[in-house]
Amino acid sequence: MSRESLLTTSVGSLPKPDYLVRARAARARGGITQHDLDELARQATREWIALQEQIGIDVLVDGEQYRGDMVAYFAENLDGMAISGLVRSYGNRYYKKPIAVGPIRRPQPITVAWWEFAQSLTERPVKGMLTGPYTICDWSFDDHFGSRREMVMALAEVVRQEAADLEAAGARYIQIDEPAVSTRLDELELAVEAMGIVTSGLRAHTTTHMCYGRFEEVYPRLLDIPVDEIDLEMTNSGLDLLERFREHPFTKDIGFGVIDVHSHRIPPVEEVKGHIYRALEYLAPEQVYIDPDCGLKTRTVEEARRMLETVQQARDEVRAELASGKVPSPV
Amino acid sequence: MIATAVSHYPKLGDGPGEQALRLAIGRVDRGEAGPEEIERAAEAMTAAAIKEQEAAGLDLVTDGQIRWQDPITYAATRLQGLEIGGLLRWFESNTYFRQPRPSPGIELAWTGPILREDLEFARRHATRPVKAVLTGPYTIGTLSDPSHLGHRRFVLELARALNQELRSLAEARPEWIQVDEPAIVNNPSVRYERDFSLFRDAMAVLTEGVDAPLSLYTYHGDVADVPKLLELPFRLFGFDFVQGPANWDLLREWPQEKGLGLGIVDARNVRLEEIGSLVEQVGRAVALTGEGLIHVSPSCGLEFLPRETARRKLELVARATHAQGVTV
Repeated sequence: MSRESLLTTSVGSLPKPDYLVRARAARARGGITQHDLDELARQATREWIALQEQIGIDVLVDGEQYRGDMVAYFAENLDGMAISGLVRSYGNRYYKKPIAVGPIRRPQPITVAWWEFAQSLTERPVKGMLTGPYTICDWSFDDHFGSRREMVMALAEVVRQEAADLEAAGARYIQIDEPAVSTRLDELELAVEAMGIVTSGLRAHTTTHMCYGRFEEVYPRLLDIPVDEIDLEMTNSGLDLLERFREHPFTKDIGFGVIDVHSHRIPPVEEVKGHIYRALEYLAPEQVYIDPDCGLKTRTVEEARRMLETVQQARDEVRAELASGKVPSPV
Repeated sequence: MIATAVSHYPKLGDGPGEQALRLAIGRVDRGEAGPEEIERAAEAMTAAAIKEQEAAGLDLVTDGQIRWQDPITYAATRLQGLEIGGLLRWFESNTYFRQPRPSPGIELAWTGPILREDLEFARRHATRPVKAVLTGPYTIGTLSDPSHLGHRRFVLELARALNQELRSLAEARPEWIQVDEPAIVNNPSVRYERDFSLFRDAMAVLTEGVDAPLSLYTYHGDVADVPKLLELPFRLFGFDFVQGPANWDLLREWPQEKGLGLGIVDARNVRLEEIGSLVEQVGRAVALTGEGLIHVSPSCGLEFLPRETARRKLELVARATHAQGVTV
């Protein structure tokens, strides 16, 4: 459990400023060098770290300014993974889906240098951000393994290596995102086993983020996932799950999403405080991290800033109210 | 024995000219072109999808559903009395559909042909027979928000409306009319409420008085536990044997008068099957069903794959079908 109550954080991705979006398009056309693009990604990272500090967020993220897709980024940096032709997701949106084409190996650390750069900019902890083996498998084609289990286990080993390197570099928080788990809850045991490989031996605080799930169907089995904290999209889909916590207490730390990020609406601070107080009916304050529901990369820079400010202000007011005894003590 | 596709085909490829539709939609979205540019591109890409199915060796083709945004909204937006809402995930895939719901105070009704023009267009561009394919009322109704109508009444009202569509299509004398009902599959990742008696009632309403060869296709799982499935009023039943290997159990007591849709080429993964394994499976199906009518196909529509892989999957379907030396 965390030592301080109601720490604020965010789920991972943050929107890319316009200059970086344009630079990424130019890079895709061969118009600028990778070195120049990386320099702009560092500039955007500096801006986001500074903004999170200014808002007062407790546990920071680098905003993934150097990544495109959360699965393709890892696939591009692993031996044994290739990228397919275009596949449609919806409407006129297409993406290049990764393919497992051979034994999967990590030739060198993937995210560690970016994490070190972000951490060098602040005294506050910056989370190491990884995509979990189950999600990389589920969102890729398989032209090599022939079994989902084998592919997930092979990916678990390379994600484990990356997590260990992040910890060795000094990361105190490591998040391993598994949004795909919610699409096939019948494979939860496989995801649990793979996560066990990734987090085995880590001393850092480990988190996994999930979204879009009917998690009430697999609660309390969800608590089997071997991490210190599970971050859930509570406002968009999970407040119903709270009722289940009365029967089966949530035994880990929880990342409690308090703003629906799929909407352009910035909720009033009072509404967000209401979600925090709902959480405290079931959870101890030391157990709860407060954040938006999901990554913010689909919002505008301005929307993301206002959402983070709203989260922080709601947390600060709730903390003050609890300290002054204005509200009844939580559980 | 017939080689065929199931439903959709990639709308875009990496080759020259294969991005026409995507580019046209982008130009129209930016106000740089009128909607007729999308229409022209959709026609060109539909013709290309048909040509590629034929070149791969299929005996029976679809129009590739190039104009469809997703399996639900193409028909739903052309019926009276439905509103279209937010995006939902299509089964356990990484693709999405928009969720319909009944409009309050407006009767759900068929007001005119939905697929007739598409079928005629495809026939003008095909040298092989074309099947008309539509998503069935149980799947549309189950993936929708039934709102004030409730699930059962909503599904049956959809069945009544789509029955008129089937009658209209039948007047055009298509080789086959295929109804897709993936929402009935026994897939543990699917949590939609299933109701077999409602499904049977809906299929009876849907097919009443339709004078055309009708087929029922399911995919993304198995239907081995659907009671009396093969007694439903369809001439042919198509199954996904990749995600639903339990479907092989359905072949043990196969009624001679029914045709079988044998979805054995994985349309969800790029790995190319060994031709020997496919030929063996076709042989096994023939042995179990007694050399009746068999339509060999991918396990479902092909839009989950990159275009080049989709082409090669169809070539495998055709090779496995025609390797048998059996004609029906």
